[in-house]
Amino acid sequence: MTPDKLVQIATENNEPRWFIEKRIRALKIMSELELPKMQRFDYHTWSMTPETTKISIMDHDHSENYVLLDIFEAARRYPELMQKYYMNKVIKSNENKLTAYHTAFLNQGLFLFIPKNTVVDKPIEINLQQDSNIFNSHILIVAEENTQVSFIQKSTTEVEQQSSANCIVEIVAKANSIVKYAAVDELGSNVTSYLSRRAFVDQNAYVDWSIGLMNSGNTVADFDTDLYGEGSHSEIKVVDITTGKQQEGVNTRVTNYGKHSIGNINQRGVIMDRSKLIFNGIGHIIHGASGANAEQQNRVLMMSNHAHGDANPILLIDENDVLAGHAASVGQVDQKQLYYLMSRGIDKKTAQRLVIRGFLGDVLTSIPSKKIREQLIQTIERKLADGQKLSENS
Amino acid sequence: MATLEIKNLHVEIEDEERKTKREILKGVNLVMKTGEIHAIMGPNGTGKSTLSQTIMGQKNYHVTQGDILLNDESILDMPVDQRARKGLFLAMQYPAEIPGVTNAEFLRSAINARRSEDNQISVMDFLKELDKNLEILDMSQSMTERYLNEGFSGGEKKRNEILQLLMIKPNFALLDEIDSGLDIDALKVVSKGVNSMRGSDFGALIITHYQRLLNYIKPDVVHVMMGGRIVKTGAADLAVKLENEGYAGLRDELGLDINLVDED
Repeated sequence: MTPDKLVQIATENNEPRWFIEKRIRALKIMSELELPKMQRFDYHTWSMTPETTKISIMDHDHSENYVLLDIFEAARRYPELMQKYYMNKVIKSNENKLTAYHTAFLNQGLFLFIPKNTVVDKPIEINLQQDSNIFNSHILIVAEENTQVSFIQKSTTEVEQQSSANCIVEIVAKANSIVKYAAVDELGSNVTSYLSRRAFVDQNAYVDWSIGLMNSGNTVADFDTDLYGEGSHSEIKVVDITTGKQQEGVNTRVTNYGKHSIGNINQRGVIMDRSKLIFNGIGHIIHGASGANAEQQNRVLMMSNHAHGDANPILLIDENDVLAGHAASVGQVDQKQLYYLMSRGIDKKTAQRLVIRGFLGDVLTSIPSKKIREQLIQTIERKLADGQKLSENS
Repeated sequence: MATLEIKNLHVEIEDEERKTKREILKGVNLVMKTGEIHAIMGPNGTGKSTLSQTIMGQKNYHVTQGDILLNDESILDMPVDQRARKGLFLAMQYPAEIPGVTNAEFLRSAINARRSEDNQISVMDFLKELDKNLEILDMSQSMTERYLNEGFSGGEKKRNEILQLLMIKPNFALLDEIDSGLDIDALKVVSKGVNSMRGSDFGALIITHYQRLLNYIKPDVVHVMMGGRIVKTGAADLAVKLENEGYAGLRDELGLDINLVDED
């Protein structure tokens, strides 16, 4: 696409000048940048950068406590905040080809701003619906000091043609804030997606990630947490199921910059049929982050002999005075467990689902909201049942 | 009345490491009806557990000859879950642990697996039945909210097997060494559970080394198994006789040429 054409689309969308210029800069550098690195996972042949022509405006609830706005409206009404934070502080637009592409071709999004000393009682729930063949969505959350907010995001696909998604979430959690972000991703089998979620966590702030990655199409995911502040803390829980011929690569990374910062990764993946899932758990402790604590568990369960999976813990530690540990496993369904359940009359498929639920169990039980836990269990049951049907028909 | 008939059953087991096959059962014949309690006694390594696992349908045991009939229908081609729904139950010596699935949830799934979609057990009925059976087995309610067998002691696992028996109410129960590892109090409780099932719709095949269990669950028929066959069948007093004379005594009396595993 020519820069002129992009300017025209953005102008029709009433975007401010700075925002359009940011798009154009990103468009110009895109071709020089590399795809994000994903160890042991090759996706360079995937089509991930189609050009946007349609922009969607998002509906949202209003509140007196905080600001929740369509991202383009936010760019007009809160230019200072948006210029400071949007693709600038947490994730930068020039990091890689896909972040530059995202900035250039953004076509929907939300901005959430929680003012200082605000506790948002009710979780904020957002449904992201992919309603065109290109879906470049952005969620920017800025939680000021001493705030608390819980955010629940679901994403689904409403279109049937082959398409792509590039969904970025940026969280700024300032000192003493608590941000809980839960995601249930259910993009369709026709969608090739890139998901990038990252939090910047300041002093004594806490970010809780509960992610149910239930997409049906090929997916590359980067879940990052930068623990900048002293005493910052994050718990990252990822549950993932792949089915059919789906391929997924997931990088879950925690970087400890702050002293006494704590980051725990706990990931579980179930790989069905001929699908492929790579979990990379990356723990990086920066020199100076004394007293930091980084733990991770990456486990995958293979449900078929044709499934392909890997769980790679990667620890990079540049500081002596730290606690760090990892556990990883790649396993098969335990035949003894299946036999036992079936010997009580439970059919094989149900027995398999029970065993899988047990495998996912300790991640599920650590999800703080009961509501999300139950929704996620339902989604998991559905995805497993669909996966079992796919296996039957192949 | 239901019947379970074992006809000239020959079973091989594959040794996966050595890639060899070994015949364990060498022509077992047995007929039992609901309303009856049978006991199978025998020395170690004689095929008692093989018999129960084969009846249930464990895949590692291969039937090479003979048949297993449930109400005159062969069940050899049925998978294990179907056999269970047809009325068989195996209380296992080493039950599996399933984390993440509560005991209560599992019990409901097992009960509902036997019922049609529009006739699933109500929560009230389920809890009523559960409370009643927990009391019989002297088990606390908290056991039902724990994950299935996870972290259970040996005795707790055995009780939990019997709890399942009481909740599922099969026609035929195969009880594989439910007395092993139990102290005398637990043994009494477990026996009480099994005895509460007695009736015209229920039959049991009790596998045990020792006569002790049979003091608490009185069998109608006692079979002695040696060398992969049933070598003698009698009434309850046969168990007492065995206890006094040992398996070697019976073997010699019958003039059998069988090497007992635990014999020097």
